[in-house]
Amino acid sequence: MSPVFALLAVLGLGLIGWFTARAKAQNLHSGRGTLHSLPSYHAWHMAIWVALPAFMGWALWQLIAPGLIENSVLADPAASILPEGDFQRSAILSEARSIAGNPEAVAFNPKARELVPAFAEAIAKYNWIGTALSLLLAFVGGAWGYSKIRAAYPARTQVERTVMLFLLLASLIAILTTFGIIASLIFETGVFFGYVSPADFLLGTQWAPDPFTSATKEGLGEDYGAIPLFWGTIFIGAIIAMVVAIPLGLMSAIYLTQYANPKLRKLLKPVLEILAGIPTVVYGYFAALTIAPMVRDFAIFIGMENPSTESALAAGAVMGVMIIPFVSSMADDSIAAVPSSMRDGSLAMGATKSETIKRVLIPAALPGIVAGIMLAISRAIGETMIVYMAAGAAANLSANPFDSMTTVTFQIAKLLNSEGEFNHPATLAAFALGLVLFVVTLALNIIALRVVKRFREAYE
Amino acid sequence: MSKAASFWQSDEMNQRLKKRYAAERRFKALGLLAILVSLAFLAFLLVTMIANGIGGIDWDFITSSDATEPDRAGIFGALKGSFFTMVVTLMLSFPLGVLAAIYLEEFAPKNNRWIEWVEVSINNLAAVPSIIFGLLGLAVFIQVMHLPRSTPIVGGMTLALMTLPVIVIAGRSAIQAVPPSIRDAALAVGASPVQTVFHHVLPLALPGILTGTIIGMSRALGETAPLLLIGMRAFVATPPDGIASDATVLPMQIFLWSGEIDRGFVQNTSAAIIVLLAFLIAMNGIAIYLRNRFETRW
Repeated sequence: MSPVFALLAVLGLGLIGWFTARAKAQNLHSGRGTLHSLPSYHAWHMAIWVALPAFMGWALWQLIAPGLIENSVLADPAASILPEGDFQRSAILSEARSIAGNPEAVAFNPKARELVPAFAEAIAKYNWIGTALSLLLAFVGGAWGYSKIRAAYPARTQVERTVMLFLLLASLIAILTTFGIIASLIFETGVFFGYVSPADFLLGTQWAPDPFTSATKEGLGEDYGAIPLFWGTIFIGAIIAMVVAIPLGLMSAIYLTQYANPKLRKLLKPVLEILAGIPTVVYGYFAALTIAPMVRDFAIFIGMENPSTESALAAGAVMGVMIIPFVSSMADDSIAAVPSSMRDGSLAMGATKSETIKRVLIPAALPGIVAGIMLAISRAIGETMIVYMAAGAAANLSANPFDSMTTVTFQIAKLLNSEGEFNHPATLAAFALGLVLFVVTLALNIIALRVVKRFREAYE
Repeated sequence: MSKAASFWQSDEMNQRLKKRYAAERRFKALGLLAILVSLAFLAFLLVTMIANGIGGIDWDFITSSDATEPDRAGIFGALKGSFFTMVVTLMLSFPLGVLAAIYLEEFAPKNNRWIEWVEVSINNLAAVPSIIFGLLGLAVFIQVMHLPRSTPIVGGMTLALMTLPVIVIAGRSAIQAVPPSIRDAALAVGASPVQTVFHHVLPLALPGILTGTIIGMSRALGETAPLLLIGMRAFVATPPDGIASDATVLPMQIFLWSGEIDRGFVQNTSAAIIVLLAFLIAMNGIAIYLRNRFETRW
C-alpha cells in the first residue's frame, strides 16, 4: 500500500464523484424548477467533498504515523540491542528507517540492519491503516456531498468559497517560507552557539573547523573564528567584484541611454543581459579553467613568488562581470527617473552632453545608483559557485588579491558536503554562517529599496 | 559689445572648446569601450567553451550516463535528473504562484497587515541568496520531514520555493495589465467574482504569466548551489527512474566533472556547458516569442 496508490485511489474516487454528481444535477435540471447552480458546480462540490477530507486525513496520518512506527519498533524484541545513549539510539533508528525505505542504501551500523525488518513491517502496517482511513474519509465525504445535491442548494457559492481558501493558502506559502528560513537558521544557530560562543564565532580570526574532532573538546571555539570568512566575502564580493562591475556597468548604461541610437540600443541591451542569464556554475568553471591561470601568470610576471592557482582576483573579477547587467539596468532606471527638464536646462546653458551627464544626471541619480550598487553587493556576497570553484578554501586574512581566499558561501557549501554528523558543530556552523548571510543581504535589500522609494518620490 | 564678440572668437575660447569637445569624445568612447569589454568577455567565454567542448558532443555523449573514464561518460543521467527536478519544481511553483498572484492582485483586502507581510516576504524572498534555500531544504525537507537525500523530489521542492516569488511577481504584473473594463463587462452580465477572474482575466494574463514562469524555470535549471547542500552531488552511474531515486542534475554534472583531474573531463565539462546553454537559450527564446506573439497592448 504505497502512498502513491492512496493518492491515485482518492483522485479516482473524486473523478467518479464528479461525474455522478453532474449526472444527478443534470437530472434535476431536466425535471421541474430551476437549479441554483450549474451542474458542473455540483460536480465540483462533490469532488471537493470526496478529495479534501481524504487528503487532510492522509496528511494528518503522515504527521502521527512516524511516532507510532517508532513506538512499535521499540516494542519489538529486536530493539533490545539498542544502546542506552539517546544520541546513538536515534542515529541507529534513523539509519534503519532510511534502509527500510530504500533497500539500496548501505548500512554503516550493523545494528541498524537488524532493525530493518521490524521497521519495514511497521511501516507497511501503518501505511495500510492510513490508506484505509483516507479511503473511508473519501466515502463518508462523498456520501455527505451527494446528499447535498438539490435544486436549491448553492453549490457554486460553496465551491467558490473553497477556491478562495486555496487562493489565500497559496499566498501564505511565501510567509511560511520566510518563516521557515528564519526558524531553521535561528534554531540550528542556537544549537551551534551551545558549542561555540557567539563572541568566538563573530570575533575570532582563526577558521579551521574539523568535523571529526570531539564536539566537547576544550577550546573548540578557537577554531570557529569567522572574521577571515567575512573579510574574504567583503574583499571578493564588495571590493574586487564592484571595482569591475561599477565602472563597466555604469558606463554601459550611460552609453546605451545617452549616446547609442535606438536601433543599437535595442540590439546591445539584450546581448548584455545574456551575461546575467549564464548559470553561475559556468562562470565558476570559466574562472577556474581560464581566468585563474591567467591571473597566476600575471602574478608571476609582476614578480610574485609562488602565487596560488586559486585567487580572490579571478573569482572577484568574474563575479563582477556577472553583475554588470544588474548594475547597468539599475543605473539605467535611476538615470531615466531624473526629470528631463534638468537635463534640458543643462544642455540649454551650453554644457556638452558629457558635462551634463557628469555634473547633472549622475549627481541627481546618485541615490538610485547607490541603492542599485547595494543590491548588486548583496547579490555578489550571496553568490556561491564562482567562489566555490575559483576562490579556494584557505581562510586567509590578507589584502593581496592574488592570495587564495574563502567566503561565507564557500564555507557553507564545504561544511555541508563533508561527511560529518549533522549535529556536530562543524555542520551547524554552516547554519550560523547562513544566518549572518541572510541578515546582511536582507538589511542591504531593505535599505536599498527604501532609498530607491524615497528617491522616486522626490522627483514625482 | 565688440569686446564680447571678440571674446567668443578668441584663441583662448577656441582652445577651451576644443578641450571640451575632446573630453566629450573621450567620454563617449569610454562608454562604448565598457560595452565592448563586457561583450568581449562574453564572446571569450563562449568561444572557450565551444572550442573545448564541441568535439565532445556526439550521440554517445547524449545517451550515456556518468562514468569514471571521460570518453565513456555522458550526460543522459544528468538530463533525466534535471527533467524530473524541473517537473517537480513546475508542478509546485506554477499553480501556487498563479493562485497567490490572483489572490494578491484580485481578492486581497487592501491595507491589511497580513497582506502587507505577504508582499514584503515575497519581495525579500526574490532577493535571498540561493544557497539559503539550500539550507532551508536541508533543515526542513531532509532533517525534519525525512525525505530521501539526493533525489529530484527534494531538489525540486527546494527550487520551487526559490522560483515561487519570480512567478508571483510576473503573474501579478500580468494580471494587473488586464484592463478593468474586462472585469466590469463580466460582472455586468452576472458572472461571480471568481468566475470573472478564472474565465476572463486569467486567460488574458496567461501569456505574461507563462513568460515569467519560463524565465523562473530557466533560472532554476541553471541553479547549483542549493542542490549542492541537499546532496545532489553523488556519482550516479545509472539514470534515475523517478522523482524518488538518487539523481544529479546538469549544472551539478558540470560541477562534478570540473573537479576531475583527468584532462579528458575538460572536454566533457565544456560539452555539458554547451548543452546547458543551448537549453537556456531555447527556453528564453520561447519566452521572448510568447511575449511578442501574444502580448496584447490594451
